[in-house]
Amino acid sequence: LEWPTRSASEIAWSATAACYFARLVELDRNASDAQLVRAIAASGNGAREAEAELCRRFAPRIRLYGLRHLRDEDLARDLVQAVLLGVLEAARGGRVKDPERIDRFMLGACRNQATRARETGLRAQPLQAQHDTAAPEIEHLDLGGLMLCLAKLDERARQVVLLSFNEERSAVEVAARLQTTAGNARVLRHRAVAALRRCLDASAEASS
Amino acid sequence: VIPCASPLSSELLVDYWAGDLPPRDEEGVEEHLFGCASCTAGSARVAAITETLRAMIPPVVTRAALDRFRARGLRVYESTFAPGERREAHFGRDLDLLIFRLGGVDLSRATRVQLSMRDEATGATLVKLGDAPFDAEAGAVLLCCQRHFASLPPDVVVELRVDEPRGEAVTSYTILHRFD
Repeated sequence: LEWPTRSASEIAWSATAACYFARLVELDRNASDAQLVRAIAASGNGAREAEAELCRRFAPRIRLYGLRHLRDEDLARDLVQAVLLGVLEAARGGRVKDPERIDRFMLGACRNQATRARETGLRAQPLQAQHDTAAPEIEHLDLGGLMLCLAKLDERARQVVLLSFNEERSAVEVAARLQTTAGNARVLRHRAVAALRRCLDASAEASS
Repeated sequence: VIPCASPLSSELLVDYWAGDLPPRDEEGVEEHLFGCASCTAGSARVAAITETLRAMIPPVVTRAALDRFRARGLRVYESTFAPGERREAHFGRDLDLLIFRLGGVDLSRATRVQLSMRDEATGATLVKLGDAPFDAEAGAVLLCCQRHFASLPPDVVVELRVDEPRGEAVTSYTILHRFD
C-alpha cells in the first residue's frame, strides 16, 4: 500500500467527504466486507455507498487500535482518517489483492501508520478534520460516577485497577505490590473492571 | 452487529488494554478484532473503563505529581485545612485543580495512611483509599479536588486514619465545596 502524497487538508477532506456524503444513500448492509471492496474497485453505481459502509464498519476498530497504541484520542482520530483514506484509495485503484482479507489489510495499514506516527511524532491530519462522522467517539464516562463505583470496590480490587491503569503497572508489578501471583493479579484486575462496568451501567440505567 | 461464533473473553480484553499480553497474543487479539464487529463493541466497553482510569487524576496526589500538573499548564490552587476544621472552599472557574493540604498530623512514623471521604448529610462513602500517598516530612496529605467532583455531594467529611507503630490516629476535616 502506497500512502497518498497529497496535502494533509486535501486528504482529510477527501476521507471525510467520501464517508459522509456517501452515507446518505441507501445500501445493502448485509454485503460482506469483500463485496464492498469489489464494489469500490468496480467504481460503478453503489461504489460511494460501499465506501461509506466500509468506513462505518472499520472506523471503530481503527479508532480503538489507535487509542491502544498511540494513547491519545486526537492521534487515534487522525489514524482513522489516514488509514481509511489510504485503504479507500487502494480499493479504488484495485490494489487490494485479496478482498476477502480486507480486515488484515486494514490492520496492516494501521500498524504501518501508527509506527510512522510514533516515529515522527507528527500528526497525520489537521485538527479541522476531526468532526469526521466516520470516527465515532469512544464512550465518555461520568468521572464522578466512576469515583463512586471505585469507592464501592473492595480495597484490593481498587488497588489493582488503579495500579494497573492509573499507574501503568504490569500484572507482575501489581502482584509484587500486593504480595500475590501475577495470575491472581490478572484475575483480580478482570473482576474489578467487570464490577466497575456493571456499576456504571446500573447508575446510567437508574438515571435514564 | 453479527454475533461472534468464538468471542474473545473479557479477561483477554482487559489484559489487552492493560498492555499485558505477549506480542504474539496481542497480534492474535487484534486480528480477531479487525474481523469482528461484535468483539470490537466488547473491546470498546472495556476500553472506556481502562482508558478513563488511565487518564484520571487520582483523588490524592504526591507533591511530585502536583509539580508535574503545574508544569503541564494545569491551574492549581492550594488551600490548607487543619484537623477538625469545617469551612467552605470555592472552586473558581479559573481553576483546574483545587488542592486541600490536609495538615496538622504527625506522619513522621506513619506506615500507612487510609483516607475516606463521605457525604456529610448521608454518610455515603464517596472515596476510599487504603494506602494514600502522604508527605511524612511536611505532615500532610494532598487531596486533589477536580471539576468533576461537582457531580458529587458538596459537603464532605474527609477522614485520615494513620497507622503507626504505636497504634492508629484518626483525624477529620469537613470541606464544603462551592463550585462557580
